Amino acid sequence: MGRSLAQKMASIGIDVTLLEVSRERADQARRDLSASLDRELAKWGITASEKKATLARITFTVDPADVAGSEMVFEAVPEDLALKQAVMLRLDALLPSEVVFVTSTSTLSVTEIAAASGRADRVVGMHFAQPVTQSRIVEIVRGTATSNETFERAVELGRMLEKTVIEVFEYPGYVVTRAILPFLNEAMHIVMEGVSSAEDVDLALRLAYEFKIGPLEYVDRVGLDTILGWMEHLFRELGDFKYRPCPLLRKMVRAGYLGRKAGRGFFEWEAGERKGRPAEAVR
Amino acid sequence: MKVLVLNCGSSSVKYQLIETSIEAIEKSADRTLARGTVERIGTGSAVHTFQAAGREKVTDSSEILEHREALSDILRVLTHGEFGVIADPSEVDAVGHRMVHGGERFTASVIATPEAIRAVQDCIPLAPLHNPPNLRGYEAAKRILPDVPHALVFDTAYHQTMPPVAYLYGLPYVLYTRHGIRRYGFHGMSHRFVGWRSRVLLGRPREETRLVTCHLGNGASVCAIAHGRSVDTSLGFTPLEGLIMGTRCGDLDPGVIFHVMHAEELSEHQVTTMLNKHSGLVGISGVSNDMRELLEAEAKGHERAKLAIDMFCYRLRKYIAAFAGALGGLDAVVFTGGIGENAPEIRQRSLEGLEFMGLRLDPERNAAAVDREADISADGVTVRTLVIPTNEELIIARDTVRLVEGAEQY
Repeated sequence: MGRSLAQKMASIGIDVTLLEVSRERADQARRDLSASLDRELAKWGITASEKKATLARITFTVDPADVAGSEMVFEAVPEDLALKQAVMLRLDALLPSEVVFVTSTSTLSVTEIAAASGRADRVVGMHFAQPVTQSRIVEIVRGTATSNETFERAVELGRMLEKTVIEVFEYPGYVVTRAILPFLNEAMHIVMEGVSSAEDVDLALRLAYEFKIGPLEYVDRVGLDTILGWMEHLFRELGDFKYRPCPLLRKMVRAGYLGRKAGRGFFEWEAGERKGRPAEAVR
Repeated sequence: MKVLVLNCGSSSVKYQLIETSIEAIEKSADRTLARGTVERIGTGSAVHTFQAAGREKVTDSSEILEHREALSDILRVLTHGEFGVIADPSEVDAVGHRMVHGGERFTASVIATPEAIRAVQDCIPLAPLHNPPNLRGYEAAKRILPDVPHALVFDTAYHQTMPPVAYLYGLPYVLYTRHGIRRYGFHGMSHRFVGWRSRVLLGRPREETRLVTCHLGNGASVCAIAHGRSVDTSLGFTPLEGLIMGTRCGDLDPGVIFHVMHAEELSEHQVTTMLNKHSGLVGISGVSNDMRELLEAEAKGHERAKLAIDMFCYRLRKYIAAFAGALGGLDAVVFTGGIGENAPEIRQRSLEGLEFMGLRLDPERNAAAVDREADISADGVTVRTLVIPTNEELIIARDTVRLVEGAEQY
């Protein structure tokens, strides 16, 4: 998420500092971004010099002090309230009070995250659909204390990133995540119940509803652990059974079949590209 | 009159300060006092390059975040005590702005008024990448030089004289009325300038001169000119149609696009970038979009470099012959633009096979005509071939003066 966002921002000419938790992850981020740009180059979507310029606009760092001087800070740490609050607290100490903080949360409360920032009026949520480089929509989420000025800054950034912007008021899952999760869950149930294979479920839904990718490939791309986290959160917050995670999802997460990043989920993956169906499907 | 000519891109401003007047235009006695570029606008390390006529180039890097700051910096440099060319900004008498797209609304250059600016804004859907920065540059210059006239000179205006048979596509007519889908053409200032110079060189009246002008740069187009007016041109609704260009494909069966999108699973963005940035000379050769590098590679035996050059020349030859047909005869072919002015070999290869039309080059005159005006025809031909270096900034400066003085544009 953070990497994809950094790539998108740098590609439109914004200088980006990408702060990672360790040197290994920073190096990995640089390699992943370079590979992602190579894939786009192979599809003729950018030129070699645009790839170079995009990478040159991103500083990969592990030193939080390097974010000083930023006009806007975007957090994309894992979906964990305590962690996000800790990040806000840390950023508040590093940056002047006029700097806007954006949280990328897709299910957590922007108000709660903002409470830890020391500048609740200058915190706003921006929830992009994945991958940020290609998706066309961003939900801009107002926390209870978000000021109009902060909201407008986020709208402006969203438009600069060539996204259609929708305004969302705080509620678990907002619009996009809340609507898609029961659908993804149902697709997993269909596979678990042996009605059809992952491949055929994806094919049928793609063709029937003109989706670009099927729900199970989408789950693989986002990460099964991430999907599970979102569903558990909505289930806890709203108590509605329609958000109860499919047992197959839990089973696969326990097995480490986390999707694209793990090389295996509902499908097999190699170097970020889908290979096909695993030799033997998990049931 | 000193005219500041501005060409504003999204992150750059190119400019010239040109001294001209109605009398100077008649005698071709216009003078460029200084020229420069500001690049990387919007960053902390914008680069401003400036050169006063007959002096050394100076380069400076500083934080320039928007067009207005760029304009301030341009005036600072123009009035600089050491290398500037004017003592005070008030010496700038008028500003001429290059505008990419004037749609069907603008058939000539105009003085900027609120109505004219609104009309340029209405053309943004036709040139979403170019008109907005052109307008930002205008707004910035208007704020910094509020008391002088500002003129708008369009890349498309010259081609507005094309007849419907030339500008309409064979599509449902309603697409034209609803969305303005038609050929607009570009490089209008360049074709207009070399068309005018050709008539001067040929010593022929406007009404009796039929020209095919070839603007061959990284972008390239051909224009058919009769009675001093554009009657057809090879660039279309967007700058993709017509000749094979440095990185653009030129004429293409539209069916190919949908087939390739499906076969390669490409998004609209990817296929658009492919056609604009990965095609043409660079796409065919795999070497470069630069004709000089391609000619060098070809000389070393690179087959696809040769193929790319051959395709470029062949496509150009087809257009020259087709436009001669559209004109019902031809008096001269004119070469301009980086390739047209500097590559004798390309001129010669493009005209091979057109001897039946009365076109033949003198090899020595052709070889000697590099970056200068010349008649390169063989003796006794019926259709002449000219090389004329283009000067779009001069067209902008002259139109600005004519508008300010109320004189006729041509």
